[in-house]
Amino acid sequence: MNSTAGDISAEAKKRGKLLVLLEQAQDKLGCLPKEFMARLAASLGLSISEVYGLATFYSFLSPGPSGRNVIRVCKSLPCYLKDLLIESVKREIGVGPGETTSDGRFSFELTNCIGACDQAPAMMVNHDVYGGLTPEELPRILERYK
Amino acid sequence: MKEFSATINGSPVTARDGMTILEVARENGIDIPTLCYSPELTLTGACRICVVEVEGSRTLVGSCHTPIAPGMVIQTHSPRVLDARRVTMELLLASHPEVCIVCDKANMCDLRKIAADLDVGLPRFRLPKHYFPMEDVSPYITRDMSKCIQCWKCVKACSEIAKKNVYGIAYRGFKSKVVVDFDDQPMDKEVCRDCGICIPFCPTGALCKPSPVRQAKTARPLVITGTAQQ
Ligand code: FES
Ligand code: FES
Repeated sequence: MNSTAGDISAEAKKRGKLLVLLEQAQDKLGCLPKEFMARLAASLGLSISEVYGLATFYSFLSPGPSGRNVIRVCKSLPCYLKDLLIESVKREIGVGPGETTSDGRFSFELTNCIGACDQAPAMMVNHDVYGGLTPEELPRILERYK
Repeated sequence: MKEFSATINGSPVTARDGMTILEVARENGIDIPTLCYSPELTLTGACRICVVEVEGSRTLVGSCHTPIAPGMVIQTHSPRVLDARRVTMELLLASHPEVCIVCDKANMCDLRKIAADLDVGLPRFRLPKHYFPMEDVSPYITRDMSKCIQCWKCVKACSEIAKKNVYGIAYRGFKSKVVVDFDDQPMDKEVCRDCGICIPFCPTGALCKPSPVRQAKTARPLVITGTAQQ
């Protein structure tokens, strides 16, 4: 193997920072524009491929623009088995997974397990988790997000 | 370095601290197939074609990344092992395009060679395939990502040997792909000029040197050795 302990830790520091910086930018900008990722890569001494790779791996980071509020419905197995949620959200906001409402109010995404399996089916709106959902509750929840 | 003994396929072998099962097996002339492993790169453990049976272990283990331990009893070609390797190979082939006949690496790639050694023909599974446009703009490298099995060797060869970090792995699950920059144009990077370090690492026809048409193929042809010793 050709990586010594020394360069591993220096590399790890650069890469460790990357995820945090992407998260912060996502919070602030609502998405990760290419120009931003290119600048970030240059300033950390990483390649664009690597930054883009990380940004497209996590469902909580989105390279494309999104709405003011992001609904993330869990599609991992426990939630999936109890699923009615995807259809109900779709009916409620009028767009399907991967889409944004025309007024920019909501983006709808599917995500992997969010650690709320005991309350399946679960979803997140921005940073708030909602579990044990029934279709009837949806309108009242979504009302809070303008 | 501490030496100790273990057993592979019923015969005693001598191993040294820090060696993997694969390294000890190869030192003893036992041929375990590998796709994502290369002695020149850091370990990946992604392809699972190198699995072996270790007595007392509930599951098969990847021989390329599992350290050998004193007294380990290992089977490298038991029926259970060969079954697992065959299914893995079938799955790899099921999502690999059936274009060997017009592929630059034709019957000369590691994937085909190992499939032949394992007696795997047409896969039983009907899986969706990934089709990506051919990337043949660069004079230094041709990429056809439809054929990629995601062994990571090109990514690692580029970052660890060439020190250029041209590649990244993007997206997730079925969609994951080896990408260059924002994955929005065919690969054509100035840093790849006269490099080509990644190309021989590719176990499929996904990476090739651009070759003028009608030029003779120079790689060794496929020789079926039939390592399936039981
Ligand atoms: S499966 Fe939905 S939160 Fe875990
Ligand atoms: S060669 Fe061991 S997992 Fe790929």
